[in-house]
Amino acid sequence: MTRFQYPGLYWARKILSVGLLLAAYLMAAQVFAQPRPNIPPPDLGPRVFEIARDLRCPACQGESTAESNAAIAVEMRRIIAEQLAQGRTEAEIHQFFVERYGPWILYEPAFGGLTLWAWLSPIIGLGLIGFALWRYQAVLRARARSVISEVSEEELARLESRLNQAPSEGRSL
Amino acid sequence: MFRFWPLWVLLLGGLLIWGMQRPDPKLLDSVLVGRQAPTFSLPVMEPFRAEFGPELGVHENLDKPVVLNIWASWCLPCRVEAPILERFHRLYGDRVLILGVNVQDTSANALAFVREFRLTFPSVYDKRGRIGIEYGFHGVPETFIIDRNGTILVRHAGEISAEQLQGYIRRVLQ
Repeated sequence: MTRFQYPGLYWARKILSVGLLLAAYLMAAQVFAQPRPNIPPPDLGPRVFEIARDLRCPACQGESTAESNAAIAVEMRRIIAEQLAQGRTEAEIHQFFVERYGPWILYEPAFGGLTLWAWLSPIIGLGLIGFALWRYQAVLRARARSVISEVSEEELARLESRLNQAPSEGRSL
Repeated sequence: MFRFWPLWVLLLGGLLIWGMQRPDPKLLDSVLVGRQAPTFSLPVMEPFRAEFGPELGVHENLDKPVVLNIWASWCLPCRVEAPILERFHRLYGDRVLILGVNVQDTSANALAFVREFRLTFPSVYDKRGRIGIEYGFHGVPETFIIDRNGTILVRHAGEISAEQLQGYIRRVLQ
């Protein structure tokens, strides 16, 4: 079988080969074009980023120190790495930044003092919603009871007798 | 209670939006005000070494109050501040140390900035911006007024005007 005998098959093979090569190239390009996964650079361990995630970036809007590439966030991560290497605990590192920036630097406020409200407010809110629902149910129940009590004894007896009648004799109430 | 539900929705919605607001770091009070200024000693930039020595910083025993200005050559408000600081250095240099801390910058750009504004008040070079973090800074420019005892009196975030600087210097010289 030569290209001269079956020129259509020959060109189909060529096109298929070129197509496969192009597909492989496009797939490889896709893989290399993927954004880099959000993994820490090799010189800073994941623990640094875990701690940095709890700290606001002082120069950014809505970014933690772990996410930001601002120079101040980079330096803060370096400080965290240095302090971890010195054997400091997470709480001590948090305290280091709180002493310089105040409790604002922490995403999670401390459990105590004025910030206690931030922790307790969801519980208080849930309690208020529960109380409001309970009151609403109580009002509904009271209203239902008052409707029943307003129906006279004669009317109740008449309705019951109607209900007790045979279905064939039934009429609309 | 439920009769006023639109009011409740508005109130809770307003509280949610208010709670989501990020406070402006410039308006935040520095926790360091009223406390001892962090001490440091950094290499003096080359043009000032002959007059001020190889290193300069904030120490426990200051002979005069310090106006500590954190700056960078790429910062636009710093370009507005530089002539003001220079003017006050010429006026009060014998009674107040105006000390620049260049952060997050290259030494070449910082030197070009010093030459452009013909600055004569000393600046030290802190490439990493570590001293800024020690002072709890949020970004350049920031200015700290430190009295003779080494206590931070004021943290001024952002561009400083001549009137503001005049007020701070008067206060620290009292």
